This record gives sequence, C-alpha cells and structure tokens, in this order.
Amino acid sequence: MPTSILGPYTRTITAVVLVVFTVVFFYTVRVSVRASIEPLFDWMTASWFGIIGTTWGAAFAIVEALHLIGLALIGGTVIASDGRLLGLVLADQEPGVVVQKTYRIFNWALILTLSTGVFMACGVAGKIYFLKVFWYKMLALSAGMLFEYGIRRPLLEKDLEDITPWVIKLTATASIMVWFTVGALGRWIGYSG
Amino acid sequence: MNEIIYNIVVWMDGFEWSTSLHESYYMYNWIESTHVLTLMVSLGMLFMIDLRMLGAAFPNVPATTLAHRLNLPMWIGFSAMIITGVLLVYAIPVRTSQSLWFRFKMVLLVCAAVNAYLLHKRMSESGASWENDAKAPKKIRISAALSLGFWTLIVISGRFIAYDWFDCEYGQSAVISFVAGCVDGQTQW
Repeated sequence: MPTSILGPYTRTITAVVLVVFTVVFFYTVRVSVRASIEPLFDWMTASWFGIIGTTWGAAFAIVEALHLIGLALIGGTVIASDGRLLGLVLADQEPGVVVQKTYRIFNWALILTLSTGVFMACGVAGKIYFLKVFWYKMLALSAGMLFEYGIRRPLLEKDLEDITPWVIKLTATASIMVWFTVGALGRWIGYSG
Repeated sequence: MNEIIYNIVVWMDGFEWSTSLHESYYMYNWIESTHVLTLMVSLGMLFMIDLRMLGAAFPNVPATTLAHRLNLPMWIGFSAMIITGVLLVYAIPVRTSQSLWFRFKMVLLVCAAVNAYLLHKRMSESGASWENDAKAPKKIRISAALSLGFWTLIVISGRFIAYDWFDCEYGQSAVISFVAGCVDGQTQW
C-alpha cells in the first residue's frame, strides 16, 4: 500500500510538474532571470576552460568531437531501448533486459556530453548567452533529463506486462523525440549568432 | 592526380545547384544537421555492437543476434549519412576536396570499412560457440576496439573540416600542399 499522497505515481507526477514548471518559467520570467545570470557567463568566459576554448581552436574542436561521440552513444542507447519498447529493433529479446542494460551506457554518455558541453559553453559563453536556440537547448536538455530519470526509468522499473502498451509506446516515442531534439538544437547553435 | 581531382571539383562547382545549395541558409544547415544527427543512429548502433563484442554492453544478449538485429537501423543511418555527406561535398566541392581533414577522413572511412568486413568475416568464421559469452573472442574484440578508434577519429577529422588551418588559400608548406591537394596557379577555392 503506497504511503505517498499521490500514490504510485508520485515521481511521475512530480517530474511532469517540474517539466511544465520549467517550460512556464522559461516563457514568463526568463528575461529578468537571464539578466541576473549574466555574471555567470562572464565568469565562464574568464575561466580556464573559457581561455583554453577561445585561444586553442584544436582543443575546442576535439572536445566538440567528443561531445558528438557522447551524443552518438545517447542515440545508440535510446534507439536500442526505445526501439525495443516500440517493437522495432531486437524484437526477439526481452524488453526489460534490453532497457535495463542501456542505463549504464546512457549515464556515461550523458556525463561525457554534459562535461564536454560545459567546456564548449565556456569557450563561447559570450555568444551563447544571447542565443535563443541555446536556451531552447537547455530547456530540451532539462526536460530530457527530468523525463529520463523522473518518468521513464521509474515507469520501466515496474513489470512491463503490468503497464498499458500504449503508455510504453508513448514513453518510448517521447524519449526518442526529446533526445533527437536536444541533438538538433545543439547543432543549430553552430549556425546562430 | 591532385590536378585531376581539382578539375573535377571545379566542374562540379560550376553547377547552379551546387551554388544554390551552398548559399541556401536553411537547406545547407538542415543537410548538415541531418548529417550530424544520423550519427545518433548509425554510430550509436555501431557503438552498441562494438561495446557488446568488448563485453561492455548487453552481456546477456547473444552477440551475433544483437549485431544482426541492429544492422538494419545502422545501415539506414549510414545511408542517410552518405547521402547528406555527398550533398555537403557537392555544395562546397573545391574547398572540401582540398581539406587535409576531409582526405584524412576518407582514408579512415576506408580503414573502418575494411575493419568492418574483417569483423563480420571473423564473426561468421568463429561459429556460435561464444555467442552467449560476455566477451567475444580476442580477434573480434580487436576489430571492435579498432572500429571504435577509427570512428572516433572519423568524427574528430569530420569536425576539423570546418576549420581553415590548412586551407590551400593561405599558402601551406610543400608537404601540406601536396597532401591537401593544392594546385599551383589554382583560381578557385
């Protein structure tokens, strides 16, 4: 018997509320908040990462490539696990096993992508601060992480046979869409500004 | 040889579609974005297969089954990547063909293709005795590690194409000029 006020869906509802809050927050108070965090971007530009990123192009380019490797690994785990949930790949394997086995690689890929992303952001902090597409990417990334750790994983921890099939398919589709959106927005930063 | 390549790419550069593609902000950027995003499909699948062979992923999923099942999405991704890659070259043929990094990338792609052929050959020769083992036999593991290395270098060299450090336009040393394919007296860049 669940003791939480929202029953077995506490984490899911909390994550959905956080995603909605992030979106509403982004579209309402973003201007004043953005102005208040400008010093952070100045600090990023002056940091060691910022100095290396702006003065040594080869280092920046290598980190960019590692960022893409991280993205490819995220893509691989997402397609393997969500593709399995949709019945598109590895259809003869147990879905629960495939999904569970991608968690560790996804975590490491996310760490690689985030750490290289921070380095790259320091190198171009003065530019990205003014780019709408950068903030859209941060929004998509936040939504993606909240979705992955707050909704998708808690949901898929349950016995998959107990979950309505369309909920599983919807979760898998949302997961693929959110991570490909993160990738596309990231690429578009390069064309803006 | 460099002059022949130069003449071909100058001929390609003369097409109106090549110029239009290069000058179209949205079309060019969408093609390049698609080229990068297909990494998530093709390279993602390839990494899953290689990591399985190395024992770092899906240890309890039969190795050859995983490789066969992920081959289709991998090839769909690669096909999109090749098509968009060709279009990117077509949009900027002269500069791309004279990019040191582009040439390095092409050599690495050939190496990766040969390695992939050897990996599949070794897999089919080794039978299914190791299929449920966490790690593949040593020869297959070496091929998988080489595949990861080649593709990491391919991504790095692909990213480097955007940088103009060794562009013919800026006058390079004799060795760089030869490797990049710079042609004496060339008028197009």
